[in-house]
Order: sequence, then structure tokens, then C-alpha cells
Amino acid sequence: MEIIESKQNEINIFTLHGRLDSNTSPELEKKLVDAMEGGARNMVLDFENLDYISSAGLRIILKTTKDLKRTEGALILCAMQDYVKEVFEIAGFDSFLPIVPTVDEAVSKL
Amino acid sequence: MSKETASFKLKNALTELDSLFKHVERFGKSVGLPKKQIFQINLALDELFTNIVSYGFTDSNSHWIEFSLSFDNGAVVIRVEDSGIPFDPVAAPTSGSVPPMENCKIGGLGLHIVKKMMDEIAYERKGGKNVIEIKKQVRP
Repeated sequence: MEIIESKQNEINIFTLHGRLDSNTSPELEKKLVDAMEGGARNMVLDFENLDYISSAGLRIILKTTKDLKRTEGALILCAMQDYVKEVFEIAGFDSFLPIVPTVDEAVSKL
Repeated sequence: MSKETASFKLKNALTELDSLFKHVERFGKSVGLPKKQIFQINLALDELFTNIVSYGFTDSNSHWIEFSLSFDNGAVVIRVEDSGIPFDPVAAPTSGSVPPMENCKIGGLGLHIVKKMMDEIAYERKGGKNVIEIKKQVRP
């Protein structure tokens, strides 16, 4: 798994490559926690090159969403592949997580 | 109808997930499964394997978790065996489809995904082992 971090108008963007599973999710969790501790409030996760997600990945996303809510921030997910999106739907996460088609759209919503 | 089978075993370590994916992918391709179904089988086995590795063993020794996959009559049948503490994933509570947003108790989410992705799941404790059998009908 590869994670690239960038910043646009005070929004932290994380571009994920590869697989987000129980083996790789601690790496993402650490990056997100570090960013929040560094004052990040609004975040975008770009899933365009994410091939796979398991419940371990969903857990990190749920936890981050809650942590950001507490500081009046927000997390938006974007550019999800169909298989990955189906996992969010089965878990019922699509009912409370904003999922949009592109990074630009995500940024414009924050 | 010809029957294709594959079997392999993995150590109880999350780093073995890459190897699990490679085995499932190789088997899926050899029997001509579409990418989406390979993804779904990967995911179900990942969740079961991650549960076993995370909660199945109370010592710090290395243990084998065994997998066998077969493709017969339009269905993929997978058997997973481990010698960890007894755990019945069929009877275990799952998260349901909408996790509570306000508290973080979403244990059971992985099993919920397994049950949604697969068509059948059965469990038995046999010879000191947990034996899970899952079945997925393959739709072209």
C-alpha cells in the first residue's frame, strides 16, 4: 500500500494505492492521526487507485469520521471503484459517509 | 463436470494476507471466475482469516490455518480450518447493515460482510478444529 499526502486550500488529501486490509490499515491510521494532531480538520481520501478494502479499512474510516466531527471537520471519500463501493454499501457506510466521483468535487464540498 | 481444487496453508500472521490473495487469484483465474467474484472471495477469506489471526490463539506460537478451494457444478466451495479456540462465525452476532454512528462498537462487521458476499456458510467443531465451509454460486 502506498499513501501520498498533499494539501489544497487547507484540505489534506490522501491518495491511496493498492490494498487496504488488516495488514496495511495501521499505516493509514497513523497518517490520519498524525495529520489530525498536526491540526488537519478537513480531509479527502482519493480511492481511484485503491484496489481493495476490508472491514479493517472501514473501521479506520469510521473512526476518522468521528474524530473529525468532534473538531467540526469532515472527511469525504472520492473516485471509488465499483467493487470497493459495494463493500461500503454492504456495510451500510454509504448512508452517512459522503462519497463523490472526483477529488475536485470533494474539495469543493469542504 | 470437471472439478478443480486447490489447497494451501498459511501461518497465523496478517502479513500472510498477500499470500492468501495470490492463492485465491490464481485459483479464480484457473477456473475462469470474473474479477468481481475473485474480489468477493478474497474479501470473505480475508475477514475469516483476520478474525482467526486476531482472536483465535492465546499463545504466541506459530500456527497453520488451512484452506481448500474447489469449483464444482457452478459453485465455489471453500473450507477453512484452524486449531484455535472454538469460535462459531455462523452463530456470532454481526453488526447488521447499518453500524451505529455514535458508538464505535462495530465488531462483527467483517462477519456481516462474509455473510453478504457468500451464499452459504456452515461451521463445525471437529477433532479440536474450527471448520468453516462457505459456498458461492458463480453467476456469469
